[in-house]
Amino acid sequence: MRGGIGGITGRYIPGDTLLHRLDERAKLFGFLILIAAVIMTDGLWGYLLMAVFLLLLGFVSGLPVREAYGSVWRLMSFYVIVFLMNALFFTSQDPLWHWGIFTLSREGMIQGANVVFRIAIVIVLSNMLMLTTSAVGIMTALEALVRPLKYLHLPAEEIAMILSIALQFIPTLLEESDTIRKAQIARGARFESRKLHEKAMAMIPMIVPIFLAAFRRADELSVAMEARGYRGAKNRTAKKAKGMTGSSWAALLVCAAICAAEVLI
Amino acid sequence: MNVTGYNEMSSVKKSIICAVCIALCYILPLLFHGIQDAGSIFCPMHIPVFICGLICGWHYGLLCGLAGPAISSALTGMPPIAYMPTMMVELAIYGVVAGLMMRYVRTKNTYVDLYLSLIVAMILGRIGAGIVRALIFTRGAYSIAMWVSGYLITCWPGVLIQFVFIPTIIFALMKAQLIPLRYPQQKLDMPRGQIEKW
Repeated sequence: MRGGIGGITGRYIPGDTLLHRLDERAKLFGFLILIAAVIMTDGLWGYLLMAVFLLLLGFVSGLPVREAYGSVWRLMSFYVIVFLMNALFFTSQDPLWHWGIFTLSREGMIQGANVVFRIAIVIVLSNMLMLTTSAVGIMTALEALVRPLKYLHLPAEEIAMILSIALQFIPTLLEESDTIRKAQIARGARFESRKLHEKAMAMIPMIVPIFLAAFRRADELSVAMEARGYRGAKNRTAKKAKGMTGSSWAALLVCAAICAAEVLI
Repeated sequence: MNVTGYNEMSSVKKSIICAVCIALCYILPLLFHGIQDAGSIFCPMHIPVFICGLICGWHYGLLCGLAGPAISSALTGMPPIAYMPTMMVELAIYGVVAGLMMRYVRTKNTYVDLYLSLIVAMILGRIGAGIVRALIFTRGAYSIAMWVSGYLITCWPGVLIQFVFIPTIIFALMKAQLIPLRYPQQKLDMPRGQIEKW
């Protein structure tokens, strides 16, 4: 975890680009369509199409390259482990190399590359969504997503509120975790050790402080919300939602087209 | 039934705690990601779901169990989408059973309540996940041996961590007055200054 754990999911960066202006519901539904496309992506051409699309998305979003794609590099050690585990332990009839418990095969390497590419694409997509959508926007989009639950007499507004607060807490808690991690390193924790049990033992003392810090934040927020008269999402008023614009529909169509192309390739 | 303890919390506070636990479902596995195969060995995502169910009740435990893996999968690709539905079922059962057990089991001893709730939730969650895999997600390609290996043998360090840390975390939260005492008439016997040390 070189360079800390912060920044894996970005905070909203205000802007006035096409991606920023898109309706937040279109962005969330488009994101879900693209996740489906990622699941169906297979083969070199499929990944090339996705890579070109992600580059275009980064260009349209106007985000700094480091913010838009940097999160992929921060998980490099994870990708290497995932790739090696697939490449060296895949059961194959036609191994390229075999030694002890390790079997290197072409199928294993392809499987490992597939998993790594899919994870990397999902991370970039989610990063773009979070960086270009405000907290209120994400809550509006989530409300639209869970609205059908109302027909089952489930508290859709409250569920949307909980989910949007969870997403807003992620960057804050990542920072808290990073601070606690640094404090543990100062006390002699060996996160960079090559030994598995030393790494695991170093993680364990972080668990209780992280929960205490998180619950302290939760306590402060709930006191603040109650002090301002919040009595549940049901009684909450909301700004009138704008209708979906032409560009939002067009964005959804593009996402659907990418998904269809990934099925056909 | 005399309702005290956790039930004193407002629904707003329970909602925020649930949100925090969902966020922790994303953050804790991220801390462990440098360790090879950490997800299936240490089960870091299970801890916030159990805590949410135990503290806030079964409704919130259910939401945390369903939303935690979904958000983590959408943001980081972990757990992989193919494995996510089984995990959602398993964690949802943990959250629901832990919440229901804490609601109905009242032995006047918080430790006993917590351990009983944890044990029953762990057993039912694992059985539920095994049944769902055998009947729906990996139909015909799943066996008792695979279930024992995946849900009992591989993850024993995670179970041990959960048994040690979940009651500790809950007592630490009570001591820090971030959640109410389950039995207000009983004193906490945690050493003074322990919270400050954490």
